[in-house]
Amino acid sequence: MSLEFAYYPGCAAQQIQREADWAARAVCQDLGIVLHAMPRASCCGAVSLRETKPAFALAVAARILSEAEAMHRDLVTICNTCLQTLTHANHRFQAEPELLEQVNRVLHNAGVRPYGATIKPRHLLWVVTEQVDGQLLRDKITRPLRGLRVAAFHGCHGLRPAEIYEREETEVHHLDRLIRIMGGTPVSYRGQDRCCGFHVMLSDKREVHTMAANNCLDAKGAGAQVMVTPCTLCDMVMGSVQEMAEKTVQQAIQLPEMNFAQLLGLTMGISADRLGIARLHIDPGPALATVGL
Amino acid sequence: MALQDYIFRIQRNTTTQGGGVESHWEDFPIQAEPNTTVLTLLDGIKGHRDGTLVFRQSCRSAICGSCAMWISGRTRLACKTHVGKVANAEGVVEIAPQRNQPVLKDLAIDIRPFFERVRGVTPYLLDGPDRATEVTSTAYDQVNHVTQCILCGCCYSECTMAEVNPAFVGPAALAKAFRFVADPREGRKGERLQALGEPHAIWSCTRCALCVDVCPKEVAPMEAIVKLRTRAVAGGVTDSPGARHALAFHDDIRRSGQLNEFTLMMRTLGIWGSLMETGMALHLAKKGKIPSPFPHGVEGVEELRRMYDHLEQFPINVETKAKEAVPE
Repeated sequence: MSLEFAYYPGCAAQQIQREADWAARAVCQDLGIVLHAMPRASCCGAVSLRETKPAFALAVAARILSEAEAMHRDLVTICNTCLQTLTHANHRFQAEPELLEQVNRVLHNAGVRPYGATIKPRHLLWVVTEQVDGQLLRDKITRPLRGLRVAAFHGCHGLRPAEIYEREETEVHHLDRLIRIMGGTPVSYRGQDRCCGFHVMLSDKREVHTMAANNCLDAKGAGAQVMVTPCTLCDMVMGSVQEMAEKTVQQAIQLPEMNFAQLLGLTMGISADRLGIARLHIDPGPALATVGL
Repeated sequence: MALQDYIFRIQRNTTTQGGGVESHWEDFPIQAEPNTTVLTLLDGIKGHRDGTLVFRQSCRSAICGSCAMWISGRTRLACKTHVGKVANAEGVVEIAPQRNQPVLKDLAIDIRPFFERVRGVTPYLLDGPDRATEVTSTAYDQVNHVTQCILCGCCYSECTMAEVNPAFVGPAALAKAFRFVADPREGRKGERLQALGEPHAIWSCTRCALCVDVCPKEVAPMEAIVKLRTRAVAGGVTDSPGARHALAFHDDIRRSGQLNEFTLMMRTLGIWGSLMETGMALHLAKKGKIPSPFPHGVEGVEELRRMYDHLEQFPINVETKAKEAVPE
């Protein structure tokens, strides 16, 4: 069975967190997952469009989902907020046929193919842990983590609100499973399913820095050598901005953080260049060197 | 159902003379059926093992909100939580007081700061110019889920913003505020929205949705906050970084289809704010992470503009409606 998807990387993966997109493409290539580009797909509007223009937000989501539907593929993303935004809209379209009809009239008027509510937004992480053949995945991991202690930071929007997700999507901790498959040791810590604060980073900076610092220090206190997330926005706060958080809370953290696809790529023997490891603010080199990576 | 072995690991807290709290964990091995409530077992411990254990409880029916406490990773009502659902593989159930609030003794917290926040949103109807003279049969579609709130504080205890900013109004109080903004009989909706647009209120919610998941009464406080933001923007209450940030999205999507991370900062914080943020820009630049000021437009962007214009001309109401409020 070939795994083919309409690929929706999200805005951050096309701009500040580009390395997550590179890593996702590299990993998929090696695992035989085909990612088809979505040239018409716009920004999903994240949490904000639903607040300012709720009807337009649903129409934008329907237009994105419709493009994937026309490709006869489920949509796959590497951003938790895109996943939640599209899943939330999809959940409503499937539960409220009248709403879908109203939104489809808007699409039709604008010359957009109406959405039939037949596809499902997925996270690339779920595809790797649930849909890729387990033996193939294990065979591809040629440079295992040899017990490296890895903190999974799950990110809010891939877990909550529970009502829009299927139970197994949120209850199975995909990231912890993947860490074990990669030969690492998942670290359990208090902040693992809490919030990175991304969505208020510009308006409540000090608070977000404190949240990032708390989460990273929790993980480090529990023995984590590296942190991974399934979300480009969590990556931005916990990784790219971590050193600014250090200044705000006046405490050293220095916990290397990366997208799950980057760490998976390293264990699959993909070059650090292709995975954009040099773009990480906190060099994971010393931690990875302890297990010969 | 057969009896199982559990260990209640309870955080014992005592306030000290200096205003601090001394804490230690105490284990109580117990046997119980998995569907026994945590509250029943706490009562058993207090009645038969250690009468000094302090916790709040009253109705035992998930209606008074007294027994909210931190149980195995989440804040829950002890009377509504079955021990079998919260014990780990070794049968351990960790129990501690609610978070984000001052501890008085063992599992009891000082509820005053939480209730002060609720009082702070003026939780009663006010007369004024915005009062509707007609109340339609659908008027309570928006209010129902919020009126289920029993003020137990579970949401506030889990709130990721309250944890780092004690000034944050918090999910329960904001949900309560929505209940009045959405009530047609309320006379000062505009004034309320203006106040709620101030710092540490609606725009400070992280949208983490923990409050939605822990609420024992399905109030969905975050959804109420989202609706308050929508009403604030629609009512012209847009003079805050949070509101400007939210507004930047629909401009960008209409213009190019893609969010422009370069100008997003500028529009959220204004020119002076952005200059203050040059630290962040320089920091990101160290790794070549400055987003392009000209992200590629998506194909068919004119479709997005047509959708937008159509909806401006013929708006549709897509607001979620609360389920009928029925007693459990």
